Amino acid sequence: MGNKIKIIIGGVILVVVIVLFFWVKSAMKDNYISLSSSEAIEPTPTQIQSIKDIGEWEFLSVSAEEMVDTVRKGFISDDELVRIYYGTLRLGIDMQKMEPGWIVTKGDSLEMTLPKVRLLDKDFIDEAKTKSFYESGKWSPKDRETLYQKAYRQMIQHCLTKENLEAAQSNGEAQMRNMMQQLGYKNITIRIEK
Amino acid sequence: MQKNIIMMRKKKPIIIACCSVLVLFLLLVTTTKCSSQDKEPAPTTLAQGIDTVPMLIMQVQKCSKLYAAEYRVHKIITHDDALRLKGQLMSKAFDLKVPLADRKIAIPMDAKIKAYIDFSEFSEKNIERNGDKITIILPDPQIVMTSSKIDQKNVKQYVGLTRAHFSDEELASYQQQGREAIIKSIPEMGITETAQANAAKVLVPMLKQLGYEEQNITIAFRKDLDVRHDFRELTRIND
Repeated sequence: MGNKIKIIIGGVILVVVIVLFFWVKSAMKDNYISLSSSEAIEPTPTQIQSIKDIGEWEFLSVSAEEMVDTVRKGFISDDELVRIYYGTLRLGIDMQKMEPGWIVTKGDSLEMTLPKVRLLDKDFIDEAKTKSFYESGKWSPKDRETLYQKAYRQMIQHCLTKENLEAAQSNGEAQMRNMMQQLGYKNITIRIEK
Repeated sequence: MQKNIIMMRKKKPIIIACCSVLVLFLLLVTTTKCSSQDKEPAPTTLAQGIDTVPMLIMQVQKCSKLYAAEYRVHKIITHDDALRLKGQLMSKAFDLKVPLADRKIAIPMDAKIKAYIDFSEFSEKNIERNGDKITIILPDPQIVMTSSKIDQKNVKQYVGLTRAHFSDEELASYQQQGREAIIKSIPEMGITETAQANAAKVLVPMLKQLGYEEQNITIAFRKDLDVRHDFRELTRIND
């Protein structure tokens, strides 16, 4: 009789423990701990600083990506920063700088004097699009500005070539000729300012 | 001896119960999730091999685009990178800010946005003549961010004692997000309307040089583009 009671008590304890186990397990099922930080920037306003009327006629666009690096010699190891800059150089003519009389017409003949094509805008690097390629060590904003200037010089050197300027000039003449032909002029003479 | 056997028999259920509790406890410990990651595991993806080849790439393209309007915009990109301990214990959620682990950065940037009319497809279809009158039908203005510049001198940052400095990759990511935010705000700037009016400012003097009277010149645009400028009288809305 005494043994039976003990077996029953043991069984009850076992059942209670099993129930307790499943209850605790279900309560802890959704447990988690994480360390996190936000990667997104905060919403801030975009301010328009100026609105400008321009008349830049682009005849050739040269898109470039330039990889530049800087190395700082260290006692144990060297630090290095490598970035890839993106930019587009736009070559063409500024229509706002046209002199009066740059087009002379006589019947179906037209004589046009165009200026030499040039780089339309000196700001051509999209720095906010820059990719970080490799970084070791700590680098300051001043170092990044130096890299930007280096990329700027390299893009000018690689993209503002004689061949590209000639291609832009040639395309500019072709585009203007086509436009004037569409406007009904048959004999078109195009001169380039010296 | 017999007394000991009776005592053992008495203790047997208790020993069995204790052993069961121990086994269940061990099971509980081994099966309970204790993770330092987010509640929902990040989907595992295979590396796609998207590294950019480190070389200079240059693309030259002939075009005929009349840039008519230029907007200079300024934006201060800010990022507050507070470290937070988040989790859930026994169905109780918690979200605590970790002390001395703040990072903040402010990056001022300037950008140029330009609107242009593409003349590469310009043909007879773009011209309507009626006696002395001429109408030029222009394609829709297109908008492009032509440049952006980070004001590196005025970048301000604060890094807590327990945190690492902002890496170049992180800075590039914030700048790219700022660039995207500027692009998203372009439709609110009204640059399209300005470009329409300014295109007329360039084309009308050219057509006057060709011998047309100013009152006989019309620059036409599509119906859904509204023109608000002094050159409005020179424009017409087309279907």
